Amino acid sequence: MSWVIKGVGAVASTGGTATEIFASLCAGRSGLGPIQGFDPTRFRAVNAYEIDDRPGPGQDVPGRATKWLLDAVGAALDDAGLPPRLDDIPVVVGTTLRELRSVELSWRDKIAFDPAELHFGTALRWRFGGVQTYTVANACAASLYGLALGADLLDCGAADTVVVAGTDTITESTYGMLDRCYPEAPDRVRPFDRERRGMLQGEGASAVVLRRCADPGHGRVRAVVRGIAVNCDAHHPSAPDAKSIAQSIREAHARAGVEPTDIDLVMLHGTGTPLNDEAEAEAIRDVFGIAATAPWMTAIKSMLGHTAGASGLHSLLTAVAAMDAGRVPPTRYLDDPIDEVADLRLVRGAAQEASMSIAQVDSFGFGGLNAVAVVEKVG
Amino acid sequence: MDTVKEVVVTGLGVAVAGLDDPAGLLAAPGDIPRSGGDDPVRRLDRRGLRYKDRATKLAMCAGRDALVDSGLVTDGPEPVLTVPGETVGVLVSSNYGNVDTICDAVATIAEHTYLGTSPMALPATSSNVIASWIAITHGLRGANLTLCNGPTSGLDAVYWAGLLIRSGRIRSALVIGVEPANEQVRHVAGGGDPDQAPHLFDGAVAMVVEDARSARERGRTPLAALGPYARRADSALAVAAVRRAEPAPVGLWCPPADGGPTPGTAHDRDPAQGTPVRVDRTRDEYPAVTDLTALLGDCSGALGVLQCVAGTAWLSTPESTGRAVLAVSGSGSFADTTGDDAAAGMMLVHPAGAEAPA
Repeated sequence: MSWVIKGVGAVASTGGTATEIFASLCAGRSGLGPIQGFDPTRFRAVNAYEIDDRPGPGQDVPGRATKWLLDAVGAALDDAGLPPRLDDIPVVVGTTLRELRSVELSWRDKIAFDPAELHFGTALRWRFGGVQTYTVANACAASLYGLALGADLLDCGAADTVVVAGTDTITESTYGMLDRCYPEAPDRVRPFDRERRGMLQGEGASAVVLRRCADPGHGRVRAVVRGIAVNCDAHHPSAPDAKSIAQSIREAHARAGVEPTDIDLVMLHGTGTPLNDEAEAEAIRDVFGIAATAPWMTAIKSMLGHTAGASGLHSLLTAVAAMDAGRVPPTRYLDDPIDEVADLRLVRGAAQEASMSIAQVDSFGFGGLNAVAVVEKVG
Repeated sequence: MDTVKEVVVTGLGVAVAGLDDPAGLLAAPGDIPRSGGDDPVRRLDRRGLRYKDRATKLAMCAGRDALVDSGLVTDGPEPVLTVPGETVGVLVSSNYGNVDTICDAVATIAEHTYLGTSPMALPATSSNVIASWIAITHGLRGANLTLCNGPTSGLDAVYWAGLLIRSGRIRSALVIGVEPANEQVRHVAGGGDPDQAPHLFDGAVAMVVEDARSARERGRTPLAALGPYARRADSALAVAAVRRAEPAPVGLWCPPADGGPTPGTAHDRDPAQGTPVRVDRTRDEYPAVTDLTALLGDCSGALGVLQCVAGTAWLSTPESTGRAVLAVSGSGSFADTTGDDAAAGMMLVHPAGAEAPA
């Protein structure tokens, strides 16, 4: 079984549409900047990848993750040629932090927040009349995990069209505890670089409209999803497990009916944390063997930050656009690669022209959650 | 992959103060004191609990009991998984699970900067922390989902467990509904005013659901089977959708927090008309009513799993013969921009080929 992507939508620090985001990634533009939403005197870290839509510096407002989700879902429906109505269309929303930033503002600053808005179904009902909506808090693997759930819904005949989305804003609690964890504050996300110091969060949302390949409906098809694997390390609450990641990659290949040599592009999870980058590189080498040096690879968190629940679909949308355009965005801030990736074709410096038809997308999260998808170019 | 014909329940667990076993959920309102009773978390070995939040600890209690009850893990101080870890999934439903960690952290940062926080609490800032610890504790490597989906979340989690089994991703799943009650949760549930919050449930329940063939191969007797599920704009529509798909008469009605429609609403039957009836006074034409909100307080994300655990316990009673359980969570009271966005309905039935309980 495979599925078609009929429409896409995305919002991030570097752009308000999927097209804008891809163009700015290819141009090497980063959304990195001094933190705007929090009191900077409370932290050692100074930067993040925020969306600049607050009333003013230091003035935070609730409901931003919800707003971006609605924007991305609306864009994806429109791109699929559908009206802005969900009705019976199921929506799976992957998220790490839900509207917990709004909870923080309510608890500390007494800014009003309706508990009905802690999950995203309330806003999806309000904006699009959606009722078959699911907020899945699956950490930073959430939107790609959601893609597997959406595909399963289509397979079992529960729906003919589903929307899969992801959204996240930055909470002070996570930002502060990450700051507390790292020996030095990261100034930027440097995936696979010897000088990487850790992850910085990003903000954004992403969405796709999905249908069965056998029943693609009217209109253009953006890409084909060949297979999605999900699993759990059951190993550590935050440290990744290379062996389990490798298993999820192998399962994704098997579900997609591809071999490592078929993969032209790998969208790496690449968070720029010491542990993730080593484990991911080890898993790739384990699965691909000598074929590891063949596919192009890139890690977009260097420019978008870690968009958490939205990040898996941000990577997937980048893969789709890259295969269409024949151009792979570079991994910025990767100046001195670690030994584990030294001979891999990680795109650095400028965007790389390339002809590609099959991509692997990695997305991992706290709790040892792994989701890996294989997508194919149309035509 | 062969088609999964039936998803059954093979184990139950409860971690609710004052309750000894799942059948206790069938008690009449008032039979369980809303406070008091031993804290179920005391049943856990204290080792390794220091940095786990209350929701995680409650879930660990109920989850372990359900796994042992199902035979998926051995009983005793060092439980061992009896099936391959990658075949078992975890689904947790909780709306307020990590609200305490978030609120404490943001207050600490305001007062003491980031240096006042503990790095050990970092995983709990992510709302999947409960499912993560459950997977680690028992080596459950299959699909791992955390539903934070408002009032319907518990029934949604049970549905997704069934779907993941039917899709062949896993053979069995541990489903947990858990909510902690503390001042941070009361603040959020009360919309910023803890005095406006309803009485909140504090506890966890768990059930193991499984491909019926897998249960048979393991020599387990299924306790119940998952029936149809629907998430709709309001509770009457949800009831109508599931009753259209499952013709069995309803013997136990588990209403949503607002009481919901009677099981016959938008349907051809005319049962209890909403008057709560004690389970031991049930008659064929009147379903018994187990109102878990009246019994335990506002159960939020735990409600649907509580309903399924209570329903499974009821299906083991003699009066359940030939009849099914109907559960509804959420009201769909949505108006303007707020209220419950939807209602979910689910039915539980006797497993295929099951003999009537003696």
